Amino acid sequence: MQDLLYFFQQLINGLTIGSTYALIAIGYTMVYGIIGMINFAHGEVYMIGAYTALIAITGLATLGITWLPLVLIVALICAVLVSSSMGWAVERVAYRPVRGRHRLIPLISAIGMSIFLQNYVHLAQGSRNIGFPALIEGGFQFGSEDTFPMSISYIQITIFITTLICMTALSLFISRSRIGRACRAVSQDLGMANLLGIDTNRIISATFVIGASLAAVAGLLLGMYYGSVDPLFGFIAGLKAFTAAVLGGIGSIPGAMLGGLILGVAESMTSGYLSGEYKDVVSFSLLILILLFKPTGLLGKPEVEKI
Amino acid sequence: MKTSITKLATAVGASVALLAAGQAAAEIKIGIAGPMTGPVAQYGDMQFSGAHMAIERINAAGGVNGEEVVAVEVDDVCDPKQAVTVANRLVNEGVRYVVGHLCSSSTQPASDIYEDEGILMITPASTSPEITNRGYELVFRTIGLDSMQGPVAGSYIASQKPERVAIVHDKQQYGEGIATAVRDTLKDSGIEIAMFEGITAGDKDFSSLVTKIKQADVDYVYFGGYHPELGLILRQARQSDVDAKFMGPEGVGNKDINTIAGEAAEGLLVTLPPSFDQKEENKELIAAFDAKGEDPSGPFVLTSYAAVQLIAEGIAQADSKDPYDVAQTLRSGSFQTPIGTVQYDQAGDMTSFEFVVYEWHSDGSKTPVN
Amino acid sequence: MAANNLKHALFCALVTLIISYPIIGFNLEIQGINITLTGATTSTIGMVLLAAVIVFLFQLFRDRIMSALRSLPNPLPQPRKEPMAENKRARIESWVLTGIVVLALFWPFFVSRGSVDLATLVLIYIMLALGLNVVVGLAGLLDLGYVAFYAVGAYTFALLSQYAGFSFWMALPLGACLAALFGLVLGFPVLRLRGDYLAIVTLGFGEIIRILLNNWTALTGGPNGIGGIPDPTLFGMEFGRRVREEGNTSFHETFGIAYSGEHKVIFLYLIALVLAIITALIIRRFMRMPVGRAWEALREDEIAARSLGLSRTAVKLSAFTIGAFFAGFAGTVFASKQGFISPESFVFLESAIILAIVVLGGMGSQLGVVLAAIAVTILPELAREFSDYRMLVFGAAMVLMMVWRPQGLMPMRRVHIELKKQE
Repeated sequence: MQDLLYFFQQLINGLTIGSTYALIAIGYTMVYGIIGMINFAHGEVYMIGAYTALIAITGLATLGITWLPLVLIVALICAVLVSSSMGWAVERVAYRPVRGRHRLIPLISAIGMSIFLQNYVHLAQGSRNIGFPALIEGGFQFGSEDTFPMSISYIQITIFITTLICMTALSLFISRSRIGRACRAVSQDLGMANLLGIDTNRIISATFVIGASLAAVAGLLLGMYYGSVDPLFGFIAGLKAFTAAVLGGIGSIPGAMLGGLILGVAESMTSGYLSGEYKDVVSFSLLILILLFKPTGLLGKPEVEKI
Repeated sequence: MKTSITKLATAVGASVALLAAGQAAAEIKIGIAGPMTGPVAQYGDMQFSGAHMAIERINAAGGVNGEEVVAVEVDDVCDPKQAVTVANRLVNEGVRYVVGHLCSSSTQPASDIYEDEGILMITPASTSPEITNRGYELVFRTIGLDSMQGPVAGSYIASQKPERVAIVHDKQQYGEGIATAVRDTLKDSGIEIAMFEGITAGDKDFSSLVTKIKQADVDYVYFGGYHPELGLILRQARQSDVDAKFMGPEGVGNKDINTIAGEAAEGLLVTLPPSFDQKEENKELIAAFDAKGEDPSGPFVLTSYAAVQLIAEGIAQADSKDPYDVAQTLRSGSFQTPIGTVQYDQAGDMTSFEFVVYEWHSDGSKTPVN
Repeated sequence: MAANNLKHALFCALVTLIISYPIIGFNLEIQGINITLTGATTSTIGMVLLAAVIVFLFQLFRDRIMSALRSLPNPLPQPRKEPMAENKRARIESWVLTGIVVLALFWPFFVSRGSVDLATLVLIYIMLALGLNVVVGLAGLLDLGYVAFYAVGAYTFALLSQYAGFSFWMALPLGACLAALFGLVLGFPVLRLRGDYLAIVTLGFGEIIRILLNNWTALTGGPNGIGGIPDPTLFGMEFGRRVREEGNTSFHETFGIAYSGEHKVIFLYLIALVLAIITALIIRRFMRMPVGRAWEALREDEIAARSLGLSRTAVKLSAFTIGAFFAGFAGTVFASKQGFISPESFVFLESAIILAIVVLGGMGSQLGVVLAAIAVTILPELAREFSDYRMLVFGAAMVLMMVWRPQGLMPMRRVHIELKKQE
């Protein structure tokens, strides 16, 4: 019984972190689906979202506003606004001028942008870890005290629900709305979509903005869940999210969700049953293995070699 | 192409000229090597602030044997590769005494160069035992070793007679070193170690680790590492109602942990050097720091101060600027510094460097535990 | 059009404000145990506003500015010149290269120790970049975990010297071969992945190696690293003040000169120089051999190359293995220069920097790679006064370089024969 509860507790931990990986992974997978490049700076956009949320929360606290829903909404709006602007600007400055060039060039540009943004925040806000207030505290308890009390905290539930809402909204948006249809058209054939009168530049910008907004949501949620921010944490999270996107099949939105959850659960099970220091080894090995047997990821469409 | 090569040649030439510049007489150059930039720059600031204060006060008092002390500052970013580069630059500059480096992994390769070049080095912050156990003549420190701090923590935990203890570390030289020392001490006292495991420094999600600690049902958790990780572990542990008592080394003992862990920091146990800035005899020095608007309470401020002071006094007492004579003097004498009376053993470690167990509170204050 | 421009310019200025004001204009500060938010100084806010105004004006007059820029004479006159005759170019290039080598041979005797040490580091990066150039520049395989092979080389030497007492010269080929073996073993399964999948897998592999080195404390010392790695010897002569190993003599005693630490630094530099030259020459040979041509063919058009009968796996594997081999070379020299290595020297940023060198230099071009390695290693050292801004500028430079001069400092030109034009 105790072992089972322990397993479920680790499962919940894994699913929580996995769903935030999924939120960040959307940004990678959409951009890759449309222009076929790895947006290495996406992790930094997420980090900036978390910082902005923290700045907003601290600012409101200084003004004496502590009503929770208001604080959360303001923080969310600020984070989304800044992150999405950042996503838009990054695409405009670093990616649009190099679009269509050799595959390596946008990638280097992205790595450069990632280093730039890390140091931008580092210079402006310092390199110290800054605590993030836990706005949503408490949770449910299962099981008795003397065996193993399993717990789900409210913040974990918030993370699940928010991710679910975001994913559903995004899927609906992609499948139903005009921009969503245009997104799909562009990802199928950029040149053709352009010929058919779709403003491809706009659609690509929109992709970056959507990805960045979801990253900002993840930034706020994870900031509250974990408890601190620093200028370097975006990079690691970005790497994991990218791994999740590749795992699920890059370019596919349900794939990003699935990849994120698998990665999160794999990590938490490794920490839970093996040792935390091998967490990253296991997640990267998993990635390598899946790619070896299914080179386009779990839900990716097989690439057809054009001759 | 030719133009670019000439440009390059001028650039290289300029760099050489820059590096070779400035050789004035009748001054004692002390190199200060530590991170000015990078992720641990905040600890570097402590080091530079302490060393500067010492140099200012020594010069104000007429210098060493009438000669002025001059600081040569270099930035190693706490990167072993850069540490070697800046160590060589200090050799260039004709520096014969160095206060530094900060991170053990930088100190170690740099000390090879200093020893080879006859430069006396005192590190105010590196606690790895490896640094002084290689039989070097010119390597000293003004801080305790991991192997001194671990047993203090270990025997404190043992004295509380816990049933089971979990030990976690951050897989870095400092953290793992102390954690291993704690484990060995606890094993000797026959206490069951329920888990001994590493985490990734810089990680933020410790929910799995916390669940594991909860299941292991331990009374004490010892964490070897720094405050950013422990702060998060404390906070996430509190969320999952882990009731074990946490303990950490001096790397976790600063107020930043309170901003991360909040209420969860209450009751954390920390081994720290006795707070030098609270000592009666340092009052005047602390006032000097306050006058400059600097904070003397960081763990490496006064150790750096002491390092500079030891070099100055060593030169004065040996009446020689030869680092070997100074090293000889340091090993034979006993010196009054803000961190207490310093005496060195053959290896270059202080014969006594005391660690005290403190209890940390959620308002950032600490009280000694008996 | 004008109204549209104005709208766009206003929008850009607004975005500039949004992305800079919250992050720069407010500072989160830790005071005691509380986090407070303070406004930045007036001058900082002024700067943010100024930036927004500049963006606004630039976007408003974008067309005019761009056309003015285009009409300016090109600051880099080379592309506009008639390309030099191929044989003349090759001759000049070989003269210049010989000149650089001669200069590099005698240079250390006249400059300071710090410069020589820095130059050794540059040479190590040159070796690394030349090796990665084979993988990325010539074969077109994006390898983001190149640092793993560098680590294998360094750790091979460190472990062999610690456990078996191997000297630098014995460990050098072993380290390189072991790294090559790793390249072969890793390359075999992953090379059928394409493009970006390959990139992420190599990245993962690089991280796995580093984490394993960090975790396997019993063998590698874990985060404590391995110290006491011996310096290279010259025919059994050691350069240290005291002789470490039985049977060796010391350099300064043999020649009856006073001990100087410079000897060792210069000797290491010369070794690195010779190895870098060997690396360059071998790779140059490879480039002209069928296998080198095959790399480029595969990079340009995989399907066409395969239909011409090239074995994809064999060609890719050879590039991967050779690249790894030279990383192992560089790793051994690095371990010897440092005397102490730990996993933190082999992080992803290192891979990114090596990649940046290859790209900045102009993928495929050897001279370009050399220049870029010098630039990337030395410029940050020169700009130490701005050390806080060092990485910021580095990142921005990478982006700007890609936008404005993606072909790199010295784009690669293939040796080719031109047919005479018909009269």
